[in-house]
Amino acid sequence: MSAKAPRVFFREAIARAIAEAMRADPRVIVLGQDVGAFGGAYREFEGLYAEFGGARVRDTPVAEAAIMGIGVGAAAAGYRTLVSITYMDFVMLALDPLVNYAAKLRFKTAGRLTAPVVLKTTAGARGQGVAHSQCLESWLMSVPGLTVVAPSNPADAYGLMRSALRADGPVVFVDHKRLYPIPGNAPASDVPVPFGQARIARPGTDITITAHSFMVQVALTAADALAKEGLSVEVVDLRSLAPLDIDTIAASVSRTGALLTVEEGQLTCGVGAEVAARLRERQGGLNVARVGAIAAPVSSNHVLEAAAIPDVERVAQGVRALLRARESGHPNSVCSGGGPGAV
Amino acid sequence: MNAIERLRTMMLIRAFERTLAARPDHGFQLLSAGEEAVAVGLCSALQPGDQLLTGGRSIGPALARGVDPKTVMAELLGKSAGVNRGKAGRGHLADPEHGFFGAHAVVGGNLSIAAGVALAQQLSGQPNIVCVLFGDGAAGSGALHETLNIAALWKLPLLFVCNNNQLSVSTPRRAALAPRRLADLAAPFGVPAQTVDGMDVVAVAEAIASAARGVRSGAGPAFVECESERFGPHSTTARETRDPETLERIRARCPILRLTGDLELAGAVSPASLATLEAEVEAMVAEAVAFAEAAPYPSPSEALADVG
Amino acid sequence: MLYRLSTPGVGDEVVEIRVLQWHGECGKAFAVGELIVELETHKALIEVRAGQSGVLRRVFAAEGDWIRVGEPFAVFSERPDEPLGEDTETAAVFLAKFVVD
Repeated sequence: MSAKAPRVFFREAIARAIAEAMRADPRVIVLGQDVGAFGGAYREFEGLYAEFGGARVRDTPVAEAAIMGIGVGAAAAGYRTLVSITYMDFVMLALDPLVNYAAKLRFKTAGRLTAPVVLKTTAGARGQGVAHSQCLESWLMSVPGLTVVAPSNPADAYGLMRSALRADGPVVFVDHKRLYPIPGNAPASDVPVPFGQARIARPGTDITITAHSFMVQVALTAADALAKEGLSVEVVDLRSLAPLDIDTIAASVSRTGALLTVEEGQLTCGVGAEVAARLRERQGGLNVARVGAIAAPVSSNHVLEAAAIPDVERVAQGVRALLRARESGHPNSVCSGGGPGAV
Repeated sequence: MNAIERLRTMMLIRAFERTLAARPDHGFQLLSAGEEAVAVGLCSALQPGDQLLTGGRSIGPALARGVDPKTVMAELLGKSAGVNRGKAGRGHLADPEHGFFGAHAVVGGNLSIAAGVALAQQLSGQPNIVCVLFGDGAAGSGALHETLNIAALWKLPLLFVCNNNQLSVSTPRRAALAPRRLADLAAPFGVPAQTVDGMDVVAVAEAIASAARGVRSGAGPAFVECESERFGPHSTTARETRDPETLERIRARCPILRLTGDLELAGAVSPASLATLEAEVEAMVAEAVAFAEAAPYPSPSEALADVG
Repeated sequence: MLYRLSTPGVGDEVVEIRVLQWHGECGKAFAVGELIVELETHKALIEVRAGQSGVLRRVFAAEGDWIRVGEPFAVFSERPDEPLGEDTETAAVFLAKFVVD
């Protein structure tokens, strides 16, 4: 075990990033349901209440619109707020203060006010049903003035949270229910991850997969399986959705010649759609396909949930299909992977 | 503000908006003729370190708070010499250094923001309060109830001032809101509340001052409902819904005429001093117009400035 | 007779668990129900108690180490003096009882 990068649970990386920021800056405060003595739904705020007290780590009632607005207003007035909305599905209730005020504040006041607020929320399907499963980060990528980040591992969770709590505008930090059980090495001291910087999670030569959040883990597992078939898959972990690191993706695709985008959210106006469109603008012709959820709500029923969202096999099928299409001279095939029989 | 200052400020708002509305380039505006006593009574009870947030009917409150009329006019005409370089307009005007934290054009959208500003004041131990001005149109929103609840729970130094001009575009207040008085909305949360005549600047000022004292003492939020009436339609593009007789009756309740009458009775103003006041106000407005007209528009490249 | 202590599968999510605290060193005899070791999943602390009596002989994961679910991490013997030999690789696996939600 390296002292420089101890192996920790995902939640511990987040808690440590927040605690360090709160120690360094007395203006950092945390608001949300169950963030106080309970330590957060995933224990991701554990220890903060004991160390910093109830004035700075505040439990709130279920009132996402007001809590987001209060976090934004306090930030505009000189504090740094972290607002926790446990389920990304309920960010919808907070969209007015987030999008209509926080994202617009610097612009509309011509720089006289800005809102350094971090909205931390957890996305993803894990047996909790249609209103507790959604991945909506693509909705937020297009809002000018909003930074949107999505770590896939503890090191990036730590680094992106440190950067988020230093940003001078609003940041949406999206993690995933299924990342919490996965430990990883996170830096022992402050190593922020910059916004707009993707990471080559796995180098390869035959195809580029872009993914974010839990789908990076799925893509890596698929890449391992495909390696046994003699395929060399490069996995690019986007980490930052807005701004998007098109340079890294483009460099990868110019090496591999093919791009499979993978996301757990919807394909329509999804992250992959944006990546593919920007790559096309950059490079002209492109061998690209997208894998995402099927166009349906995600039930808590484990059979239906599994049928709805991408898994290792569907990602692998997506890779094989795209490479076959490229060989047979039919580039630009778009497969809406994720459903039975779709590939 | 003393009585003369209040009168001058109400006259300034009236003249400023009248001049603006007469221009062909006035843009989309929400005007407050008839409601000047609410803005002026409220601002006369605020202190320099306090912050005021409003909804979209912001011109009167901004001027009452002391934002420079020249930069307000420039902002409304879209010039780069405006309060926010012409990028906010009336809907989002913000001058935080002068205690006008900002307007927000989303109905009810500024309520929770104001609570956040109040939280910041509370955490930093400042003795100042935050005041959020909103209309009856916002009183049915979840935002008001959520914000009242948390403000009461956390004893935030937040003063809720409801300018109940009794119409939300075309919907009369009684057709939109069930409570007997809008001040009753604060009762479930234990927030002290009162209803006052919004056409009487003295009554508004006294009510706000007494409510603000409680808020400043750390007792938590308070709520003041000001019952007013607007002379014009909701906006410069909205159709008027009231008949001429009703409008005539409303104009007779003009807060400027009322204060003028009271001051005349008290011997505090004379026809000559009134004429002087009017001339001062007209000069201020003319100066604002000249400043705004001379200022340039922003360059198109500013469309991408200060985004994030 | 030797047996190896391991953790049951708890769904495909939990792959690694951290060893928090051993409650005894090699050579200690544990009675039924006695607390052997505390483990940590991402969600909760788990107390692993002896399902049968035995002597702790070898430990493959120290406090702070990570163990993979399903991989044995300690060896027990029924009697304190049993030789270990190759049987440590092939001895029967005894699964600790716990559930992760």
